[in-house]
Amino acid sequence: MHRLTSLRWILAFYTALFIIFLYGPFVVMAILSFQQGPEGGPQFPIIEWSTFWYKHVLGFAPPSRIAPLPIGEALTRSLTLAFATMVVSTLLGTLTAQAFRTRFKGSGVVFYLVVLGMMVPGVLLGLGMALVADQFGIQRTWWGTAFVLHVVYTYPFAFLVMLAIFNRFDRSIEEASWALGVPPGRTFRKVTFPMIFPGVLSAMLFALTLSYDEFPRTLFTGGNQVTMPIAIYGTFAVEIHPNLFAFGVLTTLFSFALLVVYGTLMSLSIRRARARVSGIQEDVT
Amino acid sequence: MMELRGLSKSYDGRSAIADLSLRVEDDEYLTLLGPSGSGKTTLLRLVAGLDLPEHGRISLNGQDITALPTYRRGLGFVQQNYALFPHMSVADNIAFGLRNRVESPVSDEQEVERRVAAMMDLVGLQGLGNRMVGQISGGQKQRVSLARTLITEPKVCLLDEPLGALDANLRERMTVELRNIRQSLGVTFFHVTGNESEALAMGDRMIVLDEGRAIQVAPPDEIFDRPATVRVAKFVNSYNILEGGVTDGVFVCGDLRLPVPDGGADTRYIAVRYDTPSFEAEGTDGAAGQAGLTATFLTSEFMGSRVVYFFRSEAGTVFEVERHLSRSDPETFTGGDRKRLGWPVSETLFFDGNGDRLVVTHARGAA
Amino acid sequence: MSLSETAGAKMADGGTEAPKQAFWVRNGHFLLLAPGVVWMILFLVIPLIMMVYVSFWTQTTFAIKSDLTTKSWVTFFASETYFGALLRTLRIWLTVLFFTLLIGYPTALFIGQFVRNKTVQTILLVACVIPFWTSFLIRVLAWRPMLGKEGAINIVLQKIGIISEPIEVLLFTELSVIIGMVQIYVVFMVGPIAFMLARIDESLIEAARDLGASAWTIFRKIIFPLSLPGVVVGAIFVSVMVLGEFATAAALSGRKVNLLGNIIVTQVGSLKWAFAAVVGVILTVVMAIVITTLLRVVNLRREL
Repeated sequence: MHRLTSLRWILAFYTALFIIFLYGPFVVMAILSFQQGPEGGPQFPIIEWSTFWYKHVLGFAPPSRIAPLPIGEALTRSLTLAFATMVVSTLLGTLTAQAFRTRFKGSGVVFYLVVLGMMVPGVLLGLGMALVADQFGIQRTWWGTAFVLHVVYTYPFAFLVMLAIFNRFDRSIEEASWALGVPPGRTFRKVTFPMIFPGVLSAMLFALTLSYDEFPRTLFTGGNQVTMPIAIYGTFAVEIHPNLFAFGVLTTLFSFALLVVYGTLMSLSIRRARARVSGIQEDVT
Repeated sequence: MMELRGLSKSYDGRSAIADLSLRVEDDEYLTLLGPSGSGKTTLLRLVAGLDLPEHGRISLNGQDITALPTYRRGLGFVQQNYALFPHMSVADNIAFGLRNRVESPVSDEQEVERRVAAMMDLVGLQGLGNRMVGQISGGQKQRVSLARTLITEPKVCLLDEPLGALDANLRERMTVELRNIRQSLGVTFFHVTGNESEALAMGDRMIVLDEGRAIQVAPPDEIFDRPATVRVAKFVNSYNILEGGVTDGVFVCGDLRLPVPDGGADTRYIAVRYDTPSFEAEGTDGAAGQAGLTATFLTSEFMGSRVVYFFRSEAGTVFEVERHLSRSDPETFTGGDRKRLGWPVSETLFFDGNGDRLVVTHARGAA
Repeated sequence: MSLSETAGAKMADGGTEAPKQAFWVRNGHFLLLAPGVVWMILFLVIPLIMMVYVSFWTQTTFAIKSDLTTKSWVTFFASETYFGALLRTLRIWLTVLFFTLLIGYPTALFIGQFVRNKTVQTILLVACVIPFWTSFLIRVLAWRPMLGKEGAINIVLQKIGIISEPIEVLLFTELSVIIGMVQIYVVFMVGPIAFMLARIDESLIEAARDLGASAWTIFRKIIFPLSLPGVVVGAIFVSVMVLGEFATAAALSGRKVNLLGNIIVTQVGSLKWAFAAVVGVILTVVMAIVITTLLRVVNLRREL
């Protein structure tokens, strides 16, 4: 018993080190994002603390030899793409998971066909799609060839999340609703959907995050109009500047905001359920 | 009136319900007793429309509902695990069917509230309407589940082991309440259970289901007193069953020598109710019309109003004797005691090799 | 949504409404499956088949023709550069896999077994995930100021006095690629393992302890075997990502370390489609072997 207690402390200490390891680059990045600009490079030492690179990212900095990140267009594209991907892959994932609730022949084949989408490396899929597009004369665009690959990538995640949700879903609750004379369609809206909503939300969040940050698939299929990750990848070839780090910090903050929205939605759905306690009845539709 | 005719259903080639026919009358309390694996749940799911029979028909008031989807059948189904809607309050759970059903939904909220309140009064849920279903006890959940179903005024209400998840105390109270609720509403209850005392206590009529077949349909007292087969005798859990054979008009099992009455020549099993045998002094055996066997005392169990004594018979089977303390004082034996147990031959049930009960006539004046 | 649950509507014998409803029951799930399956066939299976097909096309400097040849394949296996990239990819993959497991397991053990409070567990897991909100590429680039000659690690080590001269092998070497990959992918190992460990029934471990098993025996006989599915799932994640990698190598090796992924990117860049396809097929085969081997150990469907 004593040994286990000491083991617990050793492991706790180790975990703390581990988290430092995870955050190390992030911290360095955050520090360097305050590098003096435009001369200061993405390395130590800090010449002088400044918010120049944040202004640069947001387009407020005076013009210099360093090209600004194409935030306006690329970011809009990325977000549009991520949103569309989220909607389509969550829809597909939910449909497929719903089908998997009844046993059917060939379910194993379908399961692995779908899961294959997340297992094939992006660079392969991007290459394959680029070949197909090249051969059939299809224009490569971020909203066409890249979009379908984003869905191929995120749909399996949404499917697995929904499958796990449905696996834990007690079927007899739906049966109870039918037995009360409520038809299946309305049962889904009134009973099933409210109960699986948290799962749907996490499936959507998964898809959104993955698609927003996706780049190997987009690289070959996105065409000339770049998304944000491709724009960043473009800077690999030339010199990198701390504006990338400033952008990284900003996106992280944005993600935090997204998590807050997610958390609020979750607690809202719980509170809405609780609200009934005080007698507020939702209307019948 | 609901009628099932020739229902069959099998899963993966294993028969769960085999050629089952049954009439469920209006305004009756029907209990169905079946051990686990006897096809109870399957039968309920077939009736509710959650599964489809391979053969046979189900009709309700003359209308064939065999192929009708669950939500059009107008039957109530109270599930074993209650299956309440976890995201709704107690009142919303109860009102759910009224508001959302496809046939004649109630859209007047005041009417809904009035009926919900009345139903909550009936099942004893006063003042709990605003609780979430996660915040109430098991017994209360049971009542919500019942109220939710009864408020839709089903033609027949199916109850799948409704008391199974309750503790003994609550179970006894609900037994009485279920009967009262049913009577006040005049709805037919079709109550399925694996517990023999529940089935015997609740029903106006009782069905014993075994391996997918209804092996006896009768009022509970008849099933208890005159089980149709040796399996039924076993399920009601009140009979010692002895297996043996008849030679020269005498049933032999261990040291038991029981002269069989007329019609009992094919006897393979006999059944003796736990409360029939009496303890006899050694050697008082052989009185006319009395049967007896020697058994070794194992242990006894004090059950409050009664004591159950366990013996091992010469044939090696356990033989139970039950004594009501209102009638006699408890006796004390020590393990290994050999006792003589006797009972009147006329209190014995006889079954043939197929397990069917033999109708016997006891010779008059033999006693 | 309602198709699969119309079981109640399926037919016994005869009946008027029945045949139509029986059709929905029998085929309802096909309608639910169709969109997803069609999508995957069009945009996943066909591109992969196309890749295999194109790998046998004839490549000239300026164009590609659909005359079948194995020339590109011969070039790949004959060239030390390209074949070497395959070996390097495998080496780096195995190294990263080993270190993600080695570094990740203790953390997963702590989160899954030693933290019994669900909230703390979630907080720790979320803490591991937060870095992922920074764009993957930016996270990779952030390793440069960490590892460089005047990078954070050298500064810190010199300040403490462990070293007097900055370590130069940290950046733009195979080592920096491995460090970067391990840090980026280790969380994919921690997550599934912690998940499996947290599912272990505590009474099982208590029972073993009551029987006098030592901590080490409990780990070896109970905890580790039960966490194995998590290890496999984690290994699948890490393998999939590392084998298809090219960005980390491009950013942290100063183009000195070329993986199969990097070769594909450069070949596509110079429009050498057939050759890119050859490398793609080889990568697919490696991938298929790795994943099917891992899936043999654990049934992914059952673990959900």
